[in-house]
Amino acid sequence: MKKKTVFKDIAITAAILASAFFISVAFQNVFGVDEHISTLFAFSVFLISLITKGYVYGIAAAFLSTLAINYAFAFPYFAFNFTIPVNLISAVIMVTIALLTSALTTKVKHHEAIKAESARERMRANLLRAVSHDIRTPLTTIYGSASALLEHEDTLTEAQKSKMLEGIKQDSDWLVRMVENLLSVTRIDSGNVKIQKTPIAIDELIDSLLLKFKKRYPDQKVEVDLPDEIIIVPMDAILIEQVLMNLLENSVLHAEGFDKLELRVFKNGSGTVFETEDNGKGIPEDKMQRLFDGYYGHGESLADSKKKNAGIGLAVCSAIIKAHGGEITAENTGHGVRFRFILE
Amino acid sequence: MNNKYKILVIEDDVNIRTLVSTMLEANGYQAILAETCSAARIMYDSYVPDLIILDLGLPDADGMELLKYVRCASLTPIIVLSARTDERDKVLALDLGANDYVTKPFGEGELLARVRASLRNSRHSSDEGRLPGGRFSLGDLIIDYDARRVFLCDSEIKLTQTEYNILAYLSEHCGKMLTYSAIIKAVWGGHTEEGSIKKLQVNMANIRKKLGIKPGEAKYIINELGVGYRMDG
Repeated sequence: MKKKTVFKDIAITAAILASAFFISVAFQNVFGVDEHISTLFAFSVFLISLITKGYVYGIAAAFLSTLAINYAFAFPYFAFNFTIPVNLISAVIMVTIALLTSALTTKVKHHEAIKAESARERMRANLLRAVSHDIRTPLTTIYGSASALLEHEDTLTEAQKSKMLEGIKQDSDWLVRMVENLLSVTRIDSGNVKIQKTPIAIDELIDSLLLKFKKRYPDQKVEVDLPDEIIIVPMDAILIEQVLMNLLENSVLHAEGFDKLELRVFKNGSGTVFETEDNGKGIPEDKMQRLFDGYYGHGESLADSKKKNAGIGLAVCSAIIKAHGGEITAENTGHGVRFRFILE
Repeated sequence: MNNKYKILVIEDDVNIRTLVSTMLEANGYQAILAETCSAARIMYDSYVPDLIILDLGLPDADGMELLKYVRCASLTPIIVLSARTDERDKVLALDLGANDYVTKPFGEGELLARVRASLRNSRHSSDEGRLPGGRFSLGDLIIDYDARRVFLCDSEIKLTQTEYNILAYLSEHCGKMLTYSAIIKAVWGGHTEEGSIKKLQVNMANIRKKLGIKPGEAKYIINELGVGYRMDG
């Protein structure tokens, strides 16, 4: 990767300098003018400093340009003569241009990195806040039910006992899902390393996903539309499976009045498009804006704790797809919601 | 008379140990418990269990060590319990000879299904499940090893050479989770690289299509994303 950028930068430097040189030669031969030559080289030094990484290429270009002007375009032609003061001045100016431009672009790049880092930090903070807020409810059920079952084993009726046990199981399920989402986030974040992509056959991904989904929601049918051809896409399968699971789950838990859940995968040019769609009430337009920020559902008094993790699940989806170099979108179809993302 | 299957459970967390042994005993298995790697070696040598359930994170040594120790001597099926979601650990354990793994948290149904499949698998090697004349049957699927032919509901399924080799290899290790690299080595020979995994996935997709297995059905072949495949009912 690093080697590649070095080659690229060298190529860019060489190309720009070469074009400056040949344009200068053309100016001189065709129009007989050479006043623009220093300006032209100064401009190419500026361009090189702007495009390439770090200071090296800009400064090298400045020196090469000075030598080129001295050699080819200043009297005596095609010989070096270092006694001309004008030439020395233009050398100093070009080096200064190179230094200043490189400093500026390096600063801008650094600034962008900080901005991306702080966006990640913000997402992490949102998640943490949401999780610590939501985690108490299921823990209360689990802890409370277990201690009640231990203490009142003799006085509780069978029906009461099984209801409590059911509650423990349900809320543990919820916690498991929450932890899975958190693990996904740490998997993206760990040490700024890019995610590990391996080739995955789409029908295996969907197979594994549907098995897990069926286990969680045995009664919920999913209409699946896969292409006939075998598509193999590089991805972190655990994370993409999590995204699709969150999207399907989001429809099951939040799409009011839906009775149809669809999952589609198809090829579009070089990309593979993944879509989930329900025919519920849709998402209010004012919520659309911050849907993937991890805020959805907060500030609302939803009695049912299971409804609160909507924002977290979608924020995790967005983070995962971003880490894959894509973007996830949500759209009201007029008769439900459609989520879509594309993997290259 | 005691002809229950003996299962050695190696797990350092007392709650999980109790949980697993309760699940096993409630279903007619005999559970032998060990907390550490060293205790497990002694238990293994003296009880000769039919199956081992092994937690990878043990206080005195990595569970992988015990796995190697057991595999030096025998083919006793081993199911790994793991809190690690990382596929690399799973693949490593499987390549070291584990038969299957269960990721924590797990329910009773999940654990027992794996236990049953692994016990069934170990009996396969003593030739049960294989019909006379070198045949394998699982549900409606029949593989005739001598003729290299495959039947589903009595009608023949036309497979290519490679597809047949993959299916036969899976069936010979029915119930065991096989990693990509194990299958590639058995079918093509040689090492695993990105290209060969793709080749395997494409062949697998064709096998599933020919057997009429739809996504989410988990019939005959179960796929574990990024790890491998297991043949199972």
